[in-house]
Amino acid sequence: MGDPTSGTDADDGSLSTVSLTLEYPDGESPAVDGVSLTVDPARITALVGPNGSGKSTLLKGLSAQLEPTAGRTVLDGREVATYDDTELARRLGILHQETDGVERLRVEELVAHGRYPYRRFLERPSEADIDAIERALSLTGIERLRDRPLADLSGGQRRLAWLTMVLAQDTDVLLLDEPTTFLDLRHQLAVMDVVRGLRDDVGTAVVVVLHDIEQAARYADEMVVLSDGVVAARGPPAEIVTADLLADVFGIEATVETDSQGVRIRPVRPLPRPSDDRPR
Amino acid sequence: MTSQDHPPVSRFAWITRELGVVVAGSSLVVLVAATLQLSFGAYPLSPVAAWRTLVDPTVLLSGGAWNAFLFGGPVPAYETGTLVTWTIRLPRVLVGVLVGMNLAVSGAILQAVTRNELASPFVLGVSSGAGLAVLLTVVVFTGFLPYLPLFAAVGGGVAFLLVYGIAWQGGTSPVRLVLAGVIVSSVFGSVQTGLFLLLEDVGVIQSVVAWTTGSLVGADWARVRMILPWTVVAVGAALLGSRQLNVLTLGERTASSLGMSVEHARFGLSGVAVLAAAASVAAAGIVGFVGLVVPHVVRRLVGTDHKRLLVGCAFAGPALLTAADAGARLALNPAQIPVGIVTGLVGGPYFLYLMRKHRDFGGF
Repeated sequence: MGDPTSGTDADDGSLSTVSLTLEYPDGESPAVDGVSLTVDPARITALVGPNGSGKSTLLKGLSAQLEPTAGRTVLDGREVATYDDTELARRLGILHQETDGVERLRVEELVAHGRYPYRRFLERPSEADIDAIERALSLTGIERLRDRPLADLSGGQRRLAWLTMVLAQDTDVLLLDEPTTFLDLRHQLAVMDVVRGLRDDVGTAVVVVLHDIEQAARYADEMVVLSDGVVAARGPPAEIVTADLLADVFGIEATVETDSQGVRIRPVRPLPRPSDDRPR
Repeated sequence: MTSQDHPPVSRFAWITRELGVVVAGSSLVVLVAATLQLSFGAYPLSPVAAWRTLVDPTVLLSGGAWNAFLFGGPVPAYETGTLVTWTIRLPRVLVGVLVGMNLAVSGAILQAVTRNELASPFVLGVSSGAGLAVLLTVVVFTGFLPYLPLFAAVGGGVAFLLVYGIAWQGGTSPVRLVLAGVIVSSVFGSVQTGLFLLLEDVGVIQSVVAWTTGSLVGADWARVRMILPWTVVAVGAALLGSRQLNVLTLGERTASSLGMSVEHARFGLSGVAVLAAAASVAAAGIVGFVGLVVPHVVRRLVGTDHKRLLVGCAFAGPALLTAADAGARLALNPAQIPVGIVTGLVGGPYFLYLMRKHRDFGGF
């Protein structure tokens, strides 16, 4: 349930795709093939699927970084390709997977870059900029790290710092590409708690690519399972995560239990795939 | 909310104590180097006498004198000491200051654009293009010798466009730009060396070597006039683009998801850097290492924010170049060696020191 005042007007960050097909110039088959999905405000949508199933590519399609060969992505009633760069950046934020190379930047300086789409040429940071930066820092709870250079932080703290930068962008839609990968458990939970807070308190529409199906099931309102560029299943995690799905899409034998904590997956062994026997 | 009890605006004040130290220290070095340059030479002056001629109101407040310096009018009659200081030694210091500023700012921009701390103003082909243009002018188009500085700058600019053309494949990337720079430099370098073999006159060879290693010998007011406007334009444009530089260093995917048109910014900023480098080549030839070492040192002192970095470079570049030129002038007095030799001698060991001292060497 979101804020009733921003329930259904066209400006609140509803993102959808219609038969979206995405191809890389040198790819043989489309990486994403005719995917239609809708992302709602104040909901967490998790994209899961095995390696190479098109999750990250779909994120590129959602954020207009890759031009579709067919279909379209629509944000607040307009196709994303028609937004100009800064206009889109004020509505849609992305946390990329690889973020490194600026070791000497201080956390606060990094977060301030999130205001780039709002600041005009030669303008000083406005009250709104400063408020957004402070709000982002308090959402992720890293105020006390603000003066530290990124090089001093742990991997988990660094991920939180980058997430804070994206939050300072103050967008209605947030795309996160594997935000918990390579983090220790504590920071995985910290990141996902921030995401949950965004949904509940800010009403952000969150799309998150996750590697860990159990984690996806725990946090997502809606789960979209991709397999070879098409949607293999979608819906509330408790309904769609089944032993059959894990066998068909992920190629594993597993038992699935549902309890008050969410979905429990106990992987048993990898299943032989028909394609593994076939010569290529 | 926590945002109220935090002093907001002052936190974003970009002028830090470290930057103040860099600016003050660099200015001091420039003053000392200038004093040395102004007093030593065939017509010796005491440092005090040299400075006294510099603040001489009959020159400082004379319209005719400034008309001569800035617009190339006839120089009014002064006593020898004044003439030596004002028309021979001071312009050399000024050209040194401007060249150092251009090279350091250019290097800072290109290190951000290529996201590589080992990039220099000459990484995108400027030096090889300029060097080839110098050789071609000296060997083939001898009639155009008076336009040598202009040709050198144009050669550098053309090489840059060539590098960009080679690197372009529906877009560029830092790695492709650097590789294209290597390609163009190696081809142009070979042609340049080949042309060298056609030279017979030792005097010409020496002047070509001076060009390709960088020298401030004979720098006069005409060169100040030539480089000054470009310096103002390039340094101004660089400062205006400092926020773009900051965002570019976050990586191109992040920059583009923050709403920056990465290709435009990259080309525009590279263009500014090449303009600065080409102007410095026209004034002093190809002075190596300044554009590589200075941004490096300044970044270690003031951090990665480009407004701070560029301002620091605009002071530290002149400090290195004027100090090196004082060394070049005094080391084997009365013989003068090209300043580029001194900057190379200083720059190499600096990197050796870094390599030994810092394990994180190379990261932003």
